[in-house]
Amino acid sequence: MSVTTEQTASFGGVQARAATAMNAPRIAIRNLDFYYGSNRALKSINLDFPDRQVTGMIGPSGCGKSTLLRVLNRMYDLYPGQRATGEVMMDGTNLIDPGIDLNMLRARIGMVFQKPTPFPMTIYENIAFGVKLHEKLSRSAMDERVEWSLTRAALWGEVKDRLHSSAMGLSGGQQQRLCIARTIAVRPEVILFDEPTSALDPISTLKIEELIDELKHEFTIAIVTHNMQQAARCADQVAFFYLGEMVEVAPAAQIFTAPREKRTQEYVTGRFG
Amino acid sequence: MSATTASPLAGHGLHGPAKDARVARQLSVRRARRDRVVRILCVVATVIGLIFLASILATLLWRGLGGLSLTVFTTSTLPPGSNGGLLNAIIGSLIQTLLGAVIGTPIGLLVGTYLAEYSRGSALGNAIRFVSDVLLSAPSILIGLFIYQLMVAPFGGFSGIAGCVALAVIVIPIVVRTTEDMLRLIPVSLREAAVALGTPQWKVIVMICYRAAKDGIVTGILLAVARVAGETAPLLFTSLGNLNWSLSLTKPMASLPVTIYQYAGSAFEDWVQLAWVGALLITVGVLAINIIARVALRGGK
Amino acid sequence: MSEASQHVVKSYDQELKRLRDMMTEMGGIVENQVALAAEAIMHRDSAAATRAVEDDPKVDALERDIEQFVIRLLALRQPMAGDLRQIVAALKMTGDLERIGDYAANVAKRSIVLGQFNLPYSLAGLAHMAHLVQQQLKSIIDAVGESDPEKAIEVWRSDQVVDDIYNAIFRELITYMMEDPRNITPCTHLLFIAKNLERIGDHATNIAETVYYAVTGEVLPETRPKGDTSAYAVVRPKA
Repeated sequence: MSVTTEQTASFGGVQARAATAMNAPRIAIRNLDFYYGSNRALKSINLDFPDRQVTGMIGPSGCGKSTLLRVLNRMYDLYPGQRATGEVMMDGTNLIDPGIDLNMLRARIGMVFQKPTPFPMTIYENIAFGVKLHEKLSRSAMDERVEWSLTRAALWGEVKDRLHSSAMGLSGGQQQRLCIARTIAVRPEVILFDEPTSALDPISTLKIEELIDELKHEFTIAIVTHNMQQAARCADQVAFFYLGEMVEVAPAAQIFTAPREKRTQEYVTGRFG
Repeated sequence: MSATTASPLAGHGLHGPAKDARVARQLSVRRARRDRVVRILCVVATVIGLIFLASILATLLWRGLGGLSLTVFTTSTLPPGSNGGLLNAIIGSLIQTLLGAVIGTPIGLLVGTYLAEYSRGSALGNAIRFVSDVLLSAPSILIGLFIYQLMVAPFGGFSGIAGCVALAVIVIPIVVRTTEDMLRLIPVSLREAAVALGTPQWKVIVMICYRAAKDGIVTGILLAVARVAGETAPLLFTSLGNLNWSLSLTKPMASLPVTIYQYAGSAFEDWVQLAWVGALLITVGVLAINIIARVALRGGK
Repeated sequence: MSEASQHVVKSYDQELKRLRDMMTEMGGIVENQVALAAEAIMHRDSAAATRAVEDDPKVDALERDIEQFVIRLLALRQPMAGDLRQIVAALKMTGDLERIGDYAANVAKRSIVLGQFNLPYSLAGLAHMAHLVQQQLKSIIDAVGESDPEKAIEVWRSDQVVDDIYNAIFRELITYMMEDPRNITPCTHLLFIAKNLERIGDHATNIAETVYYAVTGEVLPETRPKGDTSAYAVVRPKA
């Protein structure tokens, strides 16, 4: 007789081998500290953002994940009393160096916010606004750029007949995609998403997530989210933050099936507090 | 499948502390009674206020409409009994109000912008805001006296331009306040979104913030114009008033409020009549500006 | 797989506890089935055999319940990390347990047939094997209940012995069959009984791997003790 029914497949093994391989880092953070006045909001962060992959950042409110995002494009410079120390290396330059040209930096590292923030102007002008800051384009080249970015943001079909009406008339989901189009129109290398779908309905949310999936072929993406399922769906690697520390970073599959740290385990399974 | 789990509250009692229905009803009745009393007081107060306003308007219409005729708009002020009009006063008022607004608005706008955008939390900003608020509530006669000292006494004569400047001084704090308030209402997220594209700060303010706050700022300017259109006191010491036709800014200039002030107290019946007409014109003008402002504000929302 | 701290949503904890309870119940029934089947062979106890067979529908029903409950948990709770591993592990283990129950029932049925034959040889090897498999099953069900990865590894390792005994019995029974064709019927049944016990051991090993992963999040090495060489065994009649 022969042995027929073999049931040896171990489900853990399949998952461990399917884990995504990480690309070389586009941005590398080393020993980053951040202060709101005297309050140390980020503590010795070390984190790599792999090139053309999605890094998800999760953690409870006030854990520092949004703060980290705002360090990357120096948003904190708007507010006195906030400062960062350490290294945020991109192409051999330290992004938190005070000598950096902030407007150039922000053209390279775009950001999409929690609430859709269309500017009070037409859809076309919303896109053209950012482009004009950094490039001198002919009328037709600008038309092309607007169409390109709206197409990439999966919004072109919905707005191509009303490019010159106010952006305020779009739905929430459309407004958020407009903001994404506006961000990619200036051709950044990195895009930061700060809870981009927390104000949207589930279907609009999925459209944004699909978009992120598309965009990661061209851009390096960092996304902060309160929605763990969203991080699980979107991210290649996930970093868990708690009380200003980065507790753990690992491929998404690992964080959500077998995290190494107890605090991560407790957070992702809903055992916090 | 029977996969229902017991409620975590089961066994602890879902009811909690008992509630006395009778006490609850008593409290509710008392609350309702108090609510009614307060509501009646509010209505009475509103009616009293409206009665004054209505009687002013009614009196104006009754006394003013009678003297309204084409000559009021075509003839300048003339000696009593010679069927004069208010043309020089109307034009003078328009010139001084508009020039006052034209001088005061940009200054107010820039100060408001400075306060809202550049001086957040700084001592200088707080000082400026305080001074501006004081100016907002300063008696307008003081402003007249101040300009008198500054522009009338040194040059040895009343002038239309001095009147304009006095009105501008009144316009400035109003525009400062509305500009600052409106700019502050713009969500931080909109500003950050613009900055995140690599926009320099001045461009954020001019291209984004002004556009977003446009309706509110325009309303503020219109309200300031409405306010100065009816001012008498600052003009008494500056442009003085002029019974003759004159468009020269370096000479005394007529204006409706000052003309009303002069004519209303006179012994001549046709002058008194013209004062009523002038009062009616100002009121209607101010009312119109107010309504335009409200409509503009609502349209923006 | 119990956790020190509790979920924020308490009813989730209760559902996970319910899942654990269902697994324990199923484990208990299956363990008892195997014990009854062993009893039936060793002591020719047809009443025990009947009870073992009669328990099978209960096990099947429990398996369906657990499957349904797991699907419900996956859909409604969207479990993560340790919870996810525990819930999916339950789904896998319930399948293994159901198979063990089937094998036990099969052993019991064959024991009734065996009762009609006089066996001219000792059942000591088979008894030893049945004992070991029962031990294995008991340990692994305890390991499931206590979320004990150490115990799981022990079971995982111990399967080698069962496999060795099975290979010995295989050769022995073939020899008997070659000696006397009248032995073929009882020996074939015994062969299947031995094979079924060996399979029970394999499923216990599967459960061990599942428990280990569910508790630790790590995977046991690929090469587990898999010692059934009977597939390659050749026994030639003595010339």
